[in-house]
Amino acid sequence: MAFSYSTLFLPGSVFDLSDSVVLVTGGSRGIGRAVVLELARAGADVVVHYHTREEAAASVAQEVRALGRESMVVAANVAKREQVERMVRAAGEWKGRLDGLVTSAGVYRGPSIEEVTVEGWEEVFEKNLGGTFWAVRAAVPWLRKAPAPAVVTISSIFGSHPGIGGAPYQMAKAGVEQLTRALALELSPEIRVNSVAPGFVRTDMNRGAHEDPEFHRAIARATPLGRWGEPEDVAPAVRYLLSRESDWVTGAVLGIDGGIALR
Amino acid sequence: MNARAADEQKVALVTGGSRGIGRAVVVRLARAGYDVAFTFRQDAESARATAAEVTGSGRRAFYRPVDACDEKEVAGFAAGAREEFGRLDTVVASAGITGALGWDAVSSEEWRSVFETNLVGQYWAVRTTASDLKKTRGSVVLVASIGGLTAYPEQVAYAAAKAGTISLARSLAFALAPEVRVNAVAPGWVRTDMTAGLYDEPRARAAIVRGIPRGRWGEPDDVASAVVFLASDGARFITGETLVVDGGNVLSWRAGRRR
Ligand SMILES: NC(=O)c1ccc[n+]([C@@H]2O[C@H](COP(=O)([O-])OP(=O)(O)OC[C@H]3O[C@@H](n4cnc5c(N)ncnc54)[C@H](OP(=O)(O)O)[C@@H]3O)[C@@H](O)[C@H]2O)c1
Ligand SMILES: NC(=O)c1ccc[n+]([C@@H]2O[C@H](COP(=O)([O-])OP(=O)(O)OC[C@H]3O[C@@H](n4cnc5c(N)ncnc54)[C@H](OP(=O)(O)O)[C@@H]3O)[C@@H](O)[C@H]2O)c1
Repeated sequence: MAFSYSTLFLPGSVFDLSDSVVLVTGGSRGIGRAVVLELARAGADVVVHYHTREEAAASVAQEVRALGRESMVVAANVAKREQVERMVRAAGEWKGRLDGLVTSAGVYRGPSIEEVTVEGWEEVFEKNLGGTFWAVRAAVPWLRKAPAPAVVTISSIFGSHPGIGGAPYQMAKAGVEQLTRALALELSPEIRVNSVAPGFVRTDMNRGAHEDPEFHRAIARATPLGRWGEPEDVAPAVRYLLSRESDWVTGAVLGIDGGIALR
Repeated sequence: MNARAADEQKVALVTGGSRGIGRAVVVRLARAGYDVAFTFRQDAESARATAAEVTGSGRRAFYRPVDACDEKEVAGFAAGAREEFGRLDTVVASAGITGALGWDAVSSEEWRSVFETNLVGQYWAVRTTASDLKKTRGSVVLVASIGGLTAYPEQVAYAAAKAGTISLARSLAFALAPEVRVNAVAPGWVRTDMTAGLYDEPRARAAIVRGIPRGRWGEPDDVASAVVFLASDGARFITGETLVVDGGNVLSWRAGRRR
């Protein structure tokens, strides 16, 4: 029988986020959405960021309220620095504070090197790496005022393990990991910065891949834990890394991949 | 307690639970609702105190002196825990020792004892409980050290053993998948009896803090939280990983320090 982490993750006991405001970029869907809901269960009020799917974001915010927490939505194209800055300002001004930031907004593109265009290169870097960096930068003044601030970036198994195709995405994710280490050091001792690096997780991002039965089976077989990841598999680690329980963890990159990279 | 509740009672086994990090893990697991079996080597008084905290949280404790490197003793302890509690959900291997200071000060005797206690003992802890863990789809957390990741010329054997732990977590994660997850934590400088000599010496204590971006020594609880997270179902898709819990110490190489 699977262990129910509800016994370990009771609000008010451990991995608690009561009395905190967290901004989750890309909170409208996929991993970001699961993170939003996990943080709400931990007691946080959550700002749900989205790009174009306003309805999806609004329904996530509604789910947060159903869990007894407060929520608001904010739109931004993370490829645009001014929009990112506006997003962070709106999140901070909502309750006059920002305790945590999770950067899950991102896109995957997998072209071969011959297929990479200038536009494609810029898109992948601006959305995944630039979007993360400018969000953290804009959040720093808010986070410095928080009692126990923390950032969690979302890298990818492709941030440290190569795949065939999508080199720019992989380089951007490697950038996210180094951003995590560099800022963990630079922003110490006040602000903690950590990262999680998911493996293959079933979301809209890779719907084409996981809906292809053959590819689906191949990944499940290649994964020691025998299956694809779900967004809900990633969220608890983000919760732990935002909580005071991880007060002495900074600059860490935690793989959440079912062991697929072990060999 | 009704039958269903008894069925769901989680059980953990912790090596080196009498003091330091292992003790903090035992106490945290008890508070999270586990009955706990733990070993110690010789300090029966500390072991009793740890057990009292477990029973104080309303959980059961089972503890025995066990040499972590002795396969037969470890197997006997696992059997005892099995008989006492009937199941096993989590194994944490924290028993460990350091050796003589200085790269050229390690005797062959000491290579053996440091490797056996820190590394081989972890192997026996997992080997003797793997079948129990498979039944409950349980998990293992091995205690490594940042000494296994960075140069540690003061403790060459210890550092090599801890690098071995990180490797062991990977291999065992692969070997025991998909039923059992195996991960490691790599703590930095944590205030325990193991490090008391340095902590109690003001200059050494301060020199160590200068290398820790978070600006403080770790407490056993900092590590215990990470262990509890990795052991829990919240980490259900994480295996073969090593989580560094060091206040940022490994980030802080020489050119990366504030002046
Ligand atoms: N799925 C995986 O297997 C996997 C593995 C490793 C890492 N990751 C990483 O995890 C993160 C989340 O991925 P996911 O799988 O959850 O993806 P997803 O389901 O496709 O969701 C992507 C999210 O990012 C937002 N977004 C996309 N482009 C944006 C832009 N230009 N500006 C602002 N927001 C934008 C989307 O907003 P809208 O809803 O408004 O479109 C959505 O909320 C990404 O960083 C991804 O690289 C995913
Ligand atoms: N403290 C740190 O800064 C630090 C940093 C990184 C990693 N670690 C690792 O964390 C683990 C715990 O260290 P600690 O600082 O908590 O040490 P500690 O306070 O010295 O406690 C060591 C524990 O291990 C037990 N033990 C030692 N040798 C044993 C053996 N042969 N068989 C069974 N039990 C044995 C001890 O039992 P008795 O009480 O009976 O002696 C005690 O419970 C070790 O693996 C250590 O390498 C510590």
